[in-house]
Amino acid sequence: MSTYRLERRLDVDTKKQALTRVAGALIAMGVAGIILLLTGRNSFKILFDGLEAIFGSQRGLEGVALRAIPILMTALAVALSLRMKIWNIGSGGQFLMGAFAALGVGIHVNGPGWLVLILMALAALVAGSLWILVPALARAYWDVNEIITTLLLNFVAAQLVTWAAIGFWRDTEAAVIQSTKRVPYRLAELPGTDSLTIALLVPFVIALVLFWIFRSTTIGFEIDTIGGNPRAAAFAGINVRRRMLLVMLCTGAIAGLGGMLQLSAPGARQLGPGYEAQFGLTGFIVAALAGGAMMGVLVGGTFIASMFFAGLVLQTKGLSVYIIFGIYGLILTGVALGEMAARYRLVRVRDAVSSERVAS
Amino acid sequence: MIEPDHSYAVEARGISKYFGGIAALDGVDFKVHWGEVHALLGENGAGKTTLSNILAGIYRADSGEIAVDGLTHDVRTPAQAIEAGIGMVHQHFKLVETMTVAENVHLGWPDTPTLVSQRVLVDRTNHLMEEIGLHVDPTAKVWQLSVGEQQRVEILRVLARGAQILILDEPTAVLTSHEARDLFKVMRDLVSGGRTVIFISHKLNEVLEVSDQITVLRNGIHEITRSAEGATPRELARLMTGEERTLEVEHREITGETVLQLEGVTASNDRGVVALSSVDLVARSGEILGIAGVSGNGQTELAEVISAMRRVDGGTITVDGEDVANGLVRKVTDLGVGHIPEDRIGVGIVGSASVKDNAVLRHYWTEGLSSGVTLFRQAVVDFATRLVEVARVQTRSISATAGQMSGGNQQRLVARREALLASRVLIAVHPTRGLDVHAAQEVQTAVIGQRDRGAAVLFISDDLDEVLLMSDRIAVMYEGRIMGIFDRADADREAIGLMMGGHTLEDAMAK
Repeated sequence: MSTYRLERRLDVDTKKQALTRVAGALIAMGVAGIILLLTGRNSFKILFDGLEAIFGSQRGLEGVALRAIPILMTALAVALSLRMKIWNIGSGGQFLMGAFAALGVGIHVNGPGWLVLILMALAALVAGSLWILVPALARAYWDVNEIITTLLLNFVAAQLVTWAAIGFWRDTEAAVIQSTKRVPYRLAELPGTDSLTIALLVPFVIALVLFWIFRSTTIGFEIDTIGGNPRAAAFAGINVRRRMLLVMLCTGAIAGLGGMLQLSAPGARQLGPGYEAQFGLTGFIVAALAGGAMMGVLVGGTFIASMFFAGLVLQTKGLSVYIIFGIYGLILTGVALGEMAARYRLVRVRDAVSSERVAS
Repeated sequence: MIEPDHSYAVEARGISKYFGGIAALDGVDFKVHWGEVHALLGENGAGKTTLSNILAGIYRADSGEIAVDGLTHDVRTPAQAIEAGIGMVHQHFKLVETMTVAENVHLGWPDTPTLVSQRVLVDRTNHLMEEIGLHVDPTAKVWQLSVGEQQRVEILRVLARGAQILILDEPTAVLTSHEARDLFKVMRDLVSGGRTVIFISHKLNEVLEVSDQITVLRNGIHEITRSAEGATPRELARLMTGEERTLEVEHREITGETVLQLEGVTASNDRGVVALSSVDLVARSGEILGIAGVSGNGQTELAEVISAMRRVDGGTITVDGEDVANGLVRKVTDLGVGHIPEDRIGVGIVGSASVKDNAVLRHYWTEGLSSGVTLFRQAVVDFATRLVEVARVQTRSISATAGQMSGGNQQRLVARREALLASRVLIAVHPTRGLDVHAAQEVQTAVIGQRDRGAAVLFISDDLDEVLLMSDRIAVMYEGRIMGIFDRADADREAIGLMMGGHTLEDAMAK
């Protein structure tokens, strides 16, 4: 007689882990398909429609790219902090504040477009990092849990933006009540596309830079060391507080820049309460599933953006929004379980002892 | 049907266990009688802990069979093991520190009444203690207890659940010698009451002192089971290591220049209490200055102020004439100071990082390994490969994470890494603690090698025999003060022992 048992692996193969995640997503889609079939829907057609929505036209691919940009920016910000085991739950707030500062510059500064856009980007970087400055100082000097401080500042940022939208920067010409004035400047269009700007390049450049930092630089080594064991980092002579501040300010800056890039998305050149659209939360999910690996963030962020876009199109074809959210949840759970699965292996154990008594 | 044979408490036959294709245990037979203390002796990695984890239901054997009291024992979980009568106390306690002793004893115990008052818990605990003969204040919170008392709570927890066979995994590793004595008494009481104790250790003297029977494992293979009576440490050491050798340390006259000098150094510990008061010390090139003393008398802090891990409140510390007190860790490292920290794995290793990154942890920023901005990955690989070789660290690959190596291998890595950095000063804090005979000798040899290359070595240990073996001069520390310094030739064991207990030099000499 033999039984099977799960055994934890000592070392996890990252390539295998990537495969098990894909497998997890596929299995979850299969489960979703069976449930849809059982409820009388044609899941093959739904799958086909979803794929066609994404790959069927240039519009589809651009739609995915548009959604990917803000998600990738917040996800990269969170992934950077995760390398130091810092949980930046506030990337949504930093994203909003980046947009807020960039918008302020955009509507108040007149000048050549390229110059104003550079100033807007700088303002967004500074605003994003300022929005995490207090949590960063509190964490570095008094060991105050950053999860709570960064999370709560999200709500403050949302209120501030709402105030601007209905108050001091309100768009007085349009009929919309809760919206700011429009920024007259937009990033250069990406040649050969209808709706994309050079904003699409930014997350990829940032991911490459971060990848290089963690692979080849002493600062990357130090961040990983602090993440792994802060006491050992101090023993190595690393100034843990200074590195912590640096990383936290950078994570805020990246999220803030994401907010500025989003101002160039079609129809988004103004700020309102819905501007953040859960990008912070989505980015957090992507970063956590990627486990802080920058290339994993790129793949995961693009995947989640495709999923959201396909869902949107399916909604227009009459599939209920609740079903779509259910499928999202199933797929993400599948990915998370796939990640876990790679940490274990199934071993066959021969039954060492039978239930009979041992003769002596 | 054949009648079960009750003469053995535990009878394991042909036990094998593989981890990633490597045999941790290879066909081991292990028989333990009722009412005896049975020592399981072996070096790190010999399979002691694996075997006991199998008995306690934490691992399953890949082959072989186990009988408890003559009945087959088919357990998959620790709870089932307890039901069969086997309980284990691990090296690292599994207690909830913020709860009381009574609460900890009752946690996760099916016999605990569902709705219960503190009063009843305390009464039940008192009753149990009376029955078993172990005493700890049941209302005390666990964090308030000494390590020895916490261990007693663990033993109580296991015995309360009805275990007749108690496995103690290296129980003395965390205890002071006084606490160890108390534990031995508890062990003897338990076996005289008919229970069985399986005692895992690699300390020969302890094993000989407390055991009735001794089983020696080496490389996952059963070497011998014999009575403790008439066994000698030498014989057991040979069985454990497979070779007979003792370390010979050559001591020469010290003529080297002063390298490390402390004058009037005062510092506080983590709780802000004075840990070093006006310490004066000089260590010269080519000597080992031993620091004898009971743990917790300022040795840890002494090591930390020298390597700039802790601030001094007063006094000066110089390395080759350069002031390093309250300086930067990197400056001290740059001057050629290596430090084998007391908590090697907690402070010296990043478990989630690769072996190669850990190899360069303390000097990755130096010329040859980095440009200041980028890390020279090939140079890191070269250095790590060399270090793993000289330190004889066993790892699948230098890219594997350090945390998946055994504790002994992690310790070796840290000890050799620091020795390599220590061109001028090596601070070694309890460097052989927790290592088996073989690994301890390797570390000792590395320390001596560094001395012979001209480093000044500060050798801190609470094992007086080891200090006497290794040191060219010996300083005795008590409550943050240096009570006296002896040349090796004048070192008087008795006097040092008295001074470790707080007697002054004159006082000690007079006795």
